[in-house]
Amino acid sequence: MNSIAATVAALLLFASTASAQWAKNPAGSIPRTGEGKPNLSARAPKTQDGKIDLSGVWLPDMDAKGIPQGVENQVFSQYFVNITADLKQDAVPFQPSAQALFMQRLQNNGKDAPTAHCKPSGVPMLNSVPLPYKIIQTPRLIAILYEENTVFRQIFLDGRQPVKDPEPRWMGYSTGKWEGDTLVVDTVGFNDQSWLDAMGHPHSENMHLVERFRRRDAGHLEVEVTIDDPKAYTKPITYTQKATTLPDEDLLEYFCTENEKDVPLYK
Amino acid sequence: MKKKLFACVVLACSLLIAELPALAHHSFSAVFDDKKPIKLTGTVTKLEWQNPHTWFYMDVRDDSGKATNWGMEMGSPNLLIRSGWSRNSMKMGDLVTIEGFRARDGSNNGNAQIVILTNTGQRLFAASSLPQPAESPKR
Repeated sequence: MNSIAATVAALLLFASTASAQWAKNPAGSIPRTGEGKPNLSARAPKTQDGKIDLSGVWLPDMDAKGIPQGVENQVFSQYFVNITADLKQDAVPFQPSAQALFMQRLQNNGKDAPTAHCKPSGVPMLNSVPLPYKIIQTPRLIAILYEENTVFRQIFLDGRQPVKDPEPRWMGYSTGKWEGDTLVVDTVGFNDQSWLDAMGHPHSENMHLVERFRRRDAGHLEVEVTIDDPKAYTKPITYTQKATTLPDEDLLEYFCTENEKDVPLYK
Repeated sequence: MKKKLFACVVLACSLLIAELPALAHHSFSAVFDDKKPIKLTGTVTKLEWQNPHTWFYMDVRDDSGKATNWGMEMGSPNLLIRSGWSRNSMKMGDLVTIEGFRARDGSNNGNAQIVILTNTGQRLFAASSLPQPAESPKR
């Protein structure tokens, strides 16, 4: 009897340990140094069909010159705050209607932001949100799982054409193709509800998005984002969001509606 | 305000971003007022380690001993977990001193930017992007 109790106790202890380390399993795809540490500057891994393997858990890089801010008192990506961070303010190519909407969102203290009401950030903002995402790559389909709000996105590489007259979506409809070692993702069919950044740069349903994913080495990913939306901007806006792998981590759960308490406090 | 914002967009205005802190769920200024700094000491009565924000509650006593319960909002538990903190980092009954900002609606809610364990001086829930005292092991 004692031995059974001891076995059960040992199993419970193991279960407890396993649970605590759930998100800390070493990723097999990251090369290691002699000491077993992840070698983030090693050559980017490849898949069996010879493509660069984008798979992994990625966290958008924060602004190297940023200061802690917001409720979280954290440093964020500059593009999470503002997709036009690389432009002078007077060089933002607003159409008048988009500028008016942007001003209105600023004046409302951002309380109408979709995320403030537990709606998704949408694409491309999810590339810059300060929570990780996981890329799962197969030859004909790439899935991206985003920790924020536990949402996903599919990028089809099976040769299908962009959908005509699409139902508007937060994530749009994405098709991809490889240009050398760069994955080029073309997305249309957006709704006009998502914000492009935390400041509230808007877009229309006509937004055409091109993202160029390049895994520079084992530990670093670059996503060049080009927003082409003549209804909102007189010329395309381009920025490059970098990300670094979290080699030994996995995604956590995130359900915004679990304990949302701020809506009654918005002013 | 409108005129000021318009000027910011039309002309160069590097301060605008500082005026609109970023958000992972909501912007700072949608709920809190940076003109209403608060510093409170009280006893932790409840911790809600849930998304989209960690909230904890503390009884703050006035000079007569009467307790008022305050709600304190922080970042997502996911952000705090990745900075090394856990739901066990704060215990019920902990005496803490917070520095932060009060809700704009005047309710007894605030955003705790700094949380200090009053008895030891240890800082709780500091983000990994902030300097942390080396002598303060995480709980």
